[in-house]
Amino acid sequence: MSDKDRPFFVGYLPAPKALRGLLLAVCVLFVSGLAGFGLALGIAQDDPGDGAFRFDYGRQTVTGVVELTPYPLLRVTEGNERIPAGHTLMLAGGGKTNVESRAIPLEGQLAQVSGVLLERGSLDMMQVRGGRNGLQAAEGEVPVFETIPLGRWKLAGEICDGKCLAGAMRPGRGLAHKACANLCLLGKVPPVFVSTQPVDGSEFLLVTGPDGGHLPESAYHYVAQFVSLEGEVERRGDLLVLRMDPKTLEVLD
Amino acid sequence: MSVKYIPVQWNPNKYIYDAVMLLGVALFLYVFLYAAPGILSHERPINSQVHNARALGACAFVMLTVILCIGPLARLDPRFLPLLYNRRHFGVMTVFVAITHAGYIVDWYFAFSSSNKYEALLFANTSYGQLAGFPFEVFGVFALFTLILLAATSHDFWMKFLSPPVWKRIHYLIYPAYLSVVAHVSFGILQDQQNHAFTVIFIGGAAAVGGLHLMAALKERRADRALTSEVAGWVPVCDISEMKDGFAKIKLLANGERVAVYLNDGKLSAISNACAHQNGPLGEGQIIDCLVTCPWHGFQYDVTNGQSPAPFTEKIPTYNLKTDGTRVLVDPRANPPGTYVEPVPVGAPS
Repeated sequence: MSDKDRPFFVGYLPAPKALRGLLLAVCVLFVSGLAGFGLALGIAQDDPGDGAFRFDYGRQTVTGVVELTPYPLLRVTEGNERIPAGHTLMLAGGGKTNVESRAIPLEGQLAQVSGVLLERGSLDMMQVRGGRNGLQAAEGEVPVFETIPLGRWKLAGEICDGKCLAGAMRPGRGLAHKACANLCLLGKVPPVFVSTQPVDGSEFLLVTGPDGGHLPESAYHYVAQFVSLEGEVERRGDLLVLRMDPKTLEVLD
Repeated sequence: MSVKYIPVQWNPNKYIYDAVMLLGVALFLYVFLYAAPGILSHERPINSQVHNARALGACAFVMLTVILCIGPLARLDPRFLPLLYNRRHFGVMTVFVAITHAGYIVDWYFAFSSSNKYEALLFANTSYGQLAGFPFEVFGVFALFTLILLAATSHDFWMKFLSPPVWKRIHYLIYPAYLSVVAHVSFGILQDQQNHAFTVIFIGGAAAVGGLHLMAALKERRADRALTSEVAGWVPVCDISEMKDGFAKIKLLANGERVAVYLNDGKLSAISNACAHQNGPLGEGQIIDCLVTCPWHGFQYDVTNGQSPAPFTEKIPTYNLKTDGTRVLVDPRANPPGTYVEPVPVGAPS
């Protein structure tokens, strides 16, 4: 029902005097409310961690022996100030790509690797430059590195893409990041398992398929979730490699 | 009201409405993106692309929530009707904010691979069989395309072209779109947050939308019960003494139609309660310059024939009236839109 005592607003006419106070109050409440929500939500952002591209280190060039897990690794023989000899470095290409096509011909050989380092605590990875400047055969005697089996382990934690986790993205893990992580893993970027409990001193493990293959597709459904899994763990220098058994994957609450 | 279509028929109230809306949105984004990070003690900042996407996504959610609260709020208290007047501009602005949010997401999370980023959006996560890790992006895609559709068809040209009932049905898609946004947020960012401030605001916002719609529906239901008539012949509306000059009484007929009975200059006339523009409740308007004026957008009609004044062309149905003593009775059979009906003088039998 229309009401004689109610102020009547018509859009193309000046607002009735009786409504102006209320409308002004609504405008103030709306503007200050949005600013307040912006503040409340802005300060509620979780810390993304300290992972980052270390462009501040400058381009890193080291030499070592290429190994395939099948994800390419470099067992460093001639390091530098940032990457010491004896370190095992995971290698990735630019963006969500890998360097396998360049690493496979150099498997077991000495190679020089150049690129930018990603670092998050004790986890690191190198984004290798494009072409031969990034990965090329090097002269010298090839040392023999051992791989130490550490037996079968049952672990709890999260499967991540190692590059985003190491700092390519901040934040670089979690369910909101799952599609991005899957896309990296489809690009054969090295996957990393973040264990809730350290394994032989390390909470980060490069994770592969059970038979020396890539991460199996069935594992993609478990990426970014809190899971338990079993697998054979081996030590390659200061890097642990987990050959997961996909049949043991379970989501934990 | 218009006789030709132009992008926006600006007037001072629309300028004020849009200025307040833009100021609110600008402040939200400024505070989220530039003021709040100074308060945080993060060792390294969130990537700017992710930060921007979060700010724009949160802003779009808050804007959509406010938009959906306006309708029921105006039904509960007509003093809030001015907020409804230019709501479509609010909706279009929300779509721009949502598109920018989606742009940051696609250009960040789904870029940098050898695949097309839009294809990657669809195939990167296919875990549709599980709740945790469900590809929440699809809810966002549905909501975004729906909002774009609604914004693109928001102009009066489309309402005329599609006809008001079809247009109205299409625009009810706002509710599935909002539910989809709720799912997008619930399966996405809410799964990852350690700080639950957004969870509280999100649940509060969604509950406000649901609660206000429920309260408005209950109020209308109560009002409809009081207005309903099951009578097949002439339907009693009210006593003449209850009517005020320039204002209406509404009657809900057995067929679900509503009639607005106006007293104008000592004579009674009846028209459909539904405005030809957006079904606004004409019976809740009033007569200005001898014309019934819709409370939603100010469309006007001659109360005797249901026609908008020249050069406008809108027409609504009229109804026949008679009085029985002091009782006002309406014939429930509507006349074709634009039919003249001789007004019934108050006190004169007809």
